[in-house]
Amino acid sequence: MNSVDASEHYELGVTDLAPSLLTIVIDTNPHAWAALEDSLPLSKAVANILVFINAHLACNYANEVAVVASHSQKATWLYPVPTPSDFDRDGDVSMNGANGAASAQMNKYRPFRVVEEQVTRHLKELMVSTSSDDLRGNTSTMLAGALTLALSHINRRTIAWAEEHGGADLEDAAEAGAGGGANRYSASNDDERLQSRILIVSVSGSSDSAHQYIPVMNSIFACQRLQIPIDVCKLSGDAVFLQQACDATRGVYMALSEPRGLLQYLMMAFLPDQRSRRHLVLPTREDVDFRAACFCHRKVVNIGYVCSICLSIFCEAPPGGVCLTCGTELDVGEYDVKPALLKRKKKKKKQVNGTSAAGTPLSTPTPGP
Amino acid sequence: MAASTSRPLEYLEGLPGTTFFKLYQQPSTALAIFRRMLPDLAKCFVMALLYLKDPLPQADLELWVKAESRKQRDNALSILGRLHILSPSLTSEKARAYMVTNPFASSLRQALMGSADSLSFGVLSNTPDKYPVSINFLDDYARRQWEAVLGYMVGTSAFEQRGQRDGASLSEGVKQLLQAGHLVELRGRSVDITKDGFGFVLQDVNTQVWHILILYVQSAEHVGMDSVEVLSFLFLLSSLELGQSYEKKHLTPDQLRTLSGLADFGIVYQESPEATQFYPTRLATTLTSDSSALSNPVTGSLGPAGQPGSSGSGFIIIETNYRLYAYTSSPLQISLISLFTNLKYRFPNLVTGKITRQSVRRAIEMGITADQVISYLLTHAHPQMRKHNAGHSTSNTGSIPPSVLPPTVTDQIRLWQLERDRLRATAGFLFKDFTSFAEYQAPCQYAAEVGVLVWKSDRKRMFFVTRHEQVAAFLKNRK
Repeated sequence: MNSVDASEHYELGVTDLAPSLLTIVIDTNPHAWAALEDSLPLSKAVANILVFINAHLACNYANEVAVVASHSQKATWLYPVPTPSDFDRDGDVSMNGANGAASAQMNKYRPFRVVEEQVTRHLKELMVSTSSDDLRGNTSTMLAGALTLALSHINRRTIAWAEEHGGADLEDAAEAGAGGGANRYSASNDDERLQSRILIVSVSGSSDSAHQYIPVMNSIFACQRLQIPIDVCKLSGDAVFLQQACDATRGVYMALSEPRGLLQYLMMAFLPDQRSRRHLVLPTREDVDFRAACFCHRKVVNIGYVCSICLSIFCEAPPGGVCLTCGTELDVGEYDVKPALLKRKKKKKKQVNGTSAAGTPLSTPTPGP
Repeated sequence: MAASTSRPLEYLEGLPGTTFFKLYQQPSTALAIFRRMLPDLAKCFVMALLYLKDPLPQADLELWVKAESRKQRDNALSILGRLHILSPSLTSEKARAYMVTNPFASSLRQALMGSADSLSFGVLSNTPDKYPVSINFLDDYARRQWEAVLGYMVGTSAFEQRGQRDGASLSEGVKQLLQAGHLVELRGRSVDITKDGFGFVLQDVNTQVWHILILYVQSAEHVGMDSVEVLSFLFLLSSLELGQSYEKKHLTPDQLRTLSGLADFGIVYQESPEATQFYPTRLATTLTSDSSALSNPVTGSLGPAGQPGSSGSGFIIIETNYRLYAYTSSPLQISLISLFTNLKYRFPNLVTGKITRQSVRRAIEMGITADQVISYLLTHAHPQMRKHNAGHSTSNTGSIPPSVLPPTVTDQIRLWQLERDRLRATAGFLFKDFTSFAEYQAPCQYAAEVGVLVWKSDRKRMFFVTRHEQVAAFLKNRK
């Protein structure tokens, strides 16, 4: 008789586990890939990533995948690609073009092939459409745009999935006003909602993308709030913000010492979904670089000035003592004087940013309109 | 693990190693088994090891998994071992290590990368059909056939009339298969459902399909078909795409026979037995998915006949006062519900009733278990119930996952079962006569971690497990 008590029975309820949605952001910045040409050309990397995508799709019948290219002048979808005619409710895409051309080749599970064909075709189109003018003087990548695309796709799929499965999320979604936005994701059991995560395959360095600091950080905080881990697979360069992204969202950060082993890294570290990650010890970074970029010149700074009203960061005292973001008149004081010499009561103080060694996270500014 | 996975898993485990070797030659089989039979953690292990050249040392694998998840790790490893996917080997330094066995590894790699000319994923038919077949038609066909099978078992008289009117007739093969599987018994001219049969009809469709398929494979062996071919054909079916037609000419004779057998169940559709192409229905294409992926389109329409579930599949509402409302007019569903409910009123699209002690005991006397009743109610719960209960229980119950059915009802159904059911038999193995307590304790603890321990007595130094291979290996390693 002892076996009849509540706690045991509840476990039977959830037997079907929600599928996961993996959104891959591929950094296709031509400058950075050209530098990698010797060890891992783009074509090879894409082939590896495609196998990884197949592995992800193989894990569960209902698993989904989305691929975004973060190119030098724009961010664009590689899969699924919305066409105007069937931009339907769930954003799914009919498999036009996939039927006729390659129906003879049946050595491959069909869903795998469809993804593969679309990704390669659209990547080719993207490369062809890139002119040398676009590349001149532009060495960065549109990471912020890509992240935003990925986030909006995840959001749409999460809502659509919850609707299809009649979970608790419908009401929450309806009530989700200004403050309730996170409910949809954090409400009810974690296993019952679509498990989304973002993987960034990054090649560009941080100095190039400093000008996107604010939009990138905003996307990262959105992910943090929605509990979407951002995984970063760094092939070259070292991006400050991406380390912070992984740290804030509890994703996996790996800088590959040997880019040629990309597939094995992907399979081992990046394939497990959130559920499996609970049981695994995954590579993370201990010494996260918490430096921020200033709002005035988009430079990465160790020490800067912080507006006491809106927390904007500046690398030098703003001209006239007026904050560039919120317009508050700030009394900057004798900012040139070394801090050690100041013996007065510290009133308006410039805030010293945490150094990377100390590892204290900054309260990060929310930019104004 | 979901209950639905256990049956095919148990059957596969019972197969000899050579069968696995033959089965794993096909990429589609490797993919299907990988997807359907393995727990999450096992999938991670396989994928991590798949592209490694050298075996992964056991110590490294243990480091990779968190210490508190040892139970899941051992469970995953044991399933992989039983399915002959992971085999122990030695690294160059003679350390114990794991690697993915070969036909499986190469097939799965082929499935992922698509090399070699194996035609493992079916051949699309290019000749357009005279009468194009839509997905709706396939769903409808599958539903009708499957309802006919269930209706035959339950023996609803109203249903039989309807079945004939719809033109869904059951072939002799289907009837024989159901008898061979002891799901029904023939008494004179009437068909009587058995205890197993009651359990069967209350399961969700995916589990039912697997049950039938396993029966089919077993019976195929008796009539001289090669069970490996039949099995690999089933796994091939599961990797096909809904709404596409496939060529028959690449199939072997045994597979063609299987195909026509499966058509009777609505698992595949062919225009006529002579047609050169066939269509898999949703019953086939979702074989390797979780049951939820299937439930919506097919069971949704199985429930309230004629109005395919627009959102979700359920039609049953049950209240904390044991009242039950079922929005259905399907005679099959009504007769299923009446197995464990006292029905009171019947309206054109709604039946209401009450679950009582008598009605549940009546069901249990027929051989239905409380778990089957509860899982039936759960699979067919109305979307409104899912939404309502899942939404409310989050606020105060903390770590307990929300339950769709009222807990008081599920617990009471179980209690009613326990009133009758005081003994439970478990087949297994008893370990006894340990010389010291320490010698007893270590394997006992190991058995608990692996998840095979059923009972133990510290005083008598005995313990009882469901399977002994791992414990025996553990004891051997200690010596």
